[in-house]
Amino acid sequence: MSSTIDRETLEHLAKLARVELDEDEKEKLLKDLGNILGHFKALEELDTTNVAPMTGGTDLKNVFRGDRERENTDRGAGVEAFPKSKDGFLEVPAVFE
Amino acid sequence: MDLGDFTIKKFHDGLLAKKFSAREAAQAYFKHIKERDLEVGAYLSLAEESALNEAGRVDEMISKGEAIGDLAGAPLAIKDAILVKGLPATAASKMLEHYTASYDAGAIKKLRAEHAVFLGKNNMDEFAMGSSTENSAYQLTHNPHDLDRVPGGSSGGSAAAVAADMALGALGSDTFGSIRIPASFCGIVGLKPTYGSVSRSGLIAMTSSLDQIGPLTKTVEDNAILFKAIAGRDPMDATSSDADYGDVLSATHGDLSRFTIGLPDEYFIGGLDGTVAKEMEAAIEKLKKLGAKFKKISLPHTKYAVPAYYLSMPAEVSSNLARFDGIRYGADPNEERPKNLLDIYLKTRGKKFGAEAKRRIILGTFVLSSGYYDAYYDKAQRVRTLVKNDFDEAFKDVDVMLTPVSPTPAFKIGEKIADPLAMYLSDVFTGPANLAGVCAISIPTKPSSALAPGELPVGFQLIGKKWHEADLFAIGRHYEKE
Repeated sequence: MSSTIDRETLEHLAKLARVELDEDEKEKLLKDLGNILGHFKALEELDTTNVAPMTGGTDLKNVFRGDRERENTDRGAGVEAFPKSKDGFLEVPAVFE
Repeated sequence: MDLGDFTIKKFHDGLLAKKFSAREAAQAYFKHIKERDLEVGAYLSLAEESALNEAGRVDEMISKGEAIGDLAGAPLAIKDAILVKGLPATAASKMLEHYTASYDAGAIKKLRAEHAVFLGKNNMDEFAMGSSTENSAYQLTHNPHDLDRVPGGSSGGSAAAVAADMALGALGSDTFGSIRIPASFCGIVGLKPTYGSVSRSGLIAMTSSLDQIGPLTKTVEDNAILFKAIAGRDPMDATSSDADYGDVLSATHGDLSRFTIGLPDEYFIGGLDGTVAKEMEAAIEKLKKLGAKFKKISLPHTKYAVPAYYLSMPAEVSSNLARFDGIRYGADPNEERPKNLLDIYLKTRGKKFGAEAKRRIILGTFVLSSGYYDAYYDKAQRVRTLVKNDFDEAFKDVDVMLTPVSPTPAFKIGEKIADPLAMYLSDVFTGPANLAGVCAISIPTKPSSALAPGELPVGFQLIGKKWHEADLFAIGRHYEKE
């Protein structure tokens, strides 16, 4: 396991995650992430080859809802909570140039 | 009206005996909040109008002779990550500063049906990320027992509100200790229910595979009352379950001789604060006198729980927080925004997420990225299985386990905030129960009234089998009665 994130990787990750970071934040993150990833090294000593991953908190399987009419979130309230709307539709910035 | 003396039961009896009306009680709480919260800082917003209206409805029901439940008129505080229709829900983040909840959380719907009164929304660590409530984007919350100290977190505002008599009870959420740590630091009772027992619908998600809503109260009996009201299947949360909990409210009978309580070696280690160690011994002695049998057990993978969590949790965080794009959820309508969509994302998320949220998003993006997924995320999930297997194995020999909640009592404000790793390690005793999905409760070793001047409260933790909340309540009620 690589236990460090270099500046180039950090900048790439921040772009993927759509988070703008300033220089001070980058410095602090490089240090913090190094420490935190160092702590994870403890896991390397465990052999987990034959252990199944636990992918969630529940043992339930295939939970379906009945195909019936049901009360839903108030559409009006959802539109009102949006910064811009027009005729009951949400107005968003153009996606394509 | 002595707010300090109220429990949910006493409040209910007083209401029925017409010693006060629900409206008078709600007014008394708001009056007290407006004075005391200036120094505690437990609330981010108050809901005076809707609370007084609901209290008025309860008074009307009483005057008409209609039957009311234990929680009718009960003034409750709600963590700001839980949606109450028409009220703000900021999750203590600038990202949600202008958001108003458009629906009720599943647990809130159930409490509304009981005619509970919601006083307001509580401060917390931003998006429930922290163990001290210092990560709130808005304000600090101070521990009511010592204002220089943290209340614990992330449900710190909810715990402080109950401990300072600014609410009769509260709802918080617990992903790795966020209900139990503040309950321990503030000297109250806090339950992390079995994963799937309380609906997560309307809980702003941090780590979906671990998050659970649960009650914070002054007594174990109150906790059982609130748990009973909010538990149960909700079609809006596919992981919620209709389990049979038995009678969680049954009056305790006989002694505790039917219980064998396990003491995991890995939880009683060097590094445990002296006061905490002493309080654990006292609690164990008291339970022995009440008839409980104790047995040493081992949970060998305990030390891997924190690293496994801090690998898998950020992965879920990075996905769950992707929805906050600067466009939905009540963006500031007056804000100057870049024309380009990518720039809107980058700038809003860069500006409005706090340091801990950004740290977890970046880390989560890293552990999920190609080439690192197997080494980190997949590995962490396999370790989670090992931690869960430890509990399955140990629960073959014992009914419940007793452990400290936190290695220390409440620490000073500012003491750990600069070092994220030190903060993460305060969850070392609470987190494994979340990874295993079992239930766990924090109970004060002694009532706040029995604390010496300057003494800080300490909680002990009881961990129970899945869906066995009734065991925790039975032992806890015996303990607090003696």
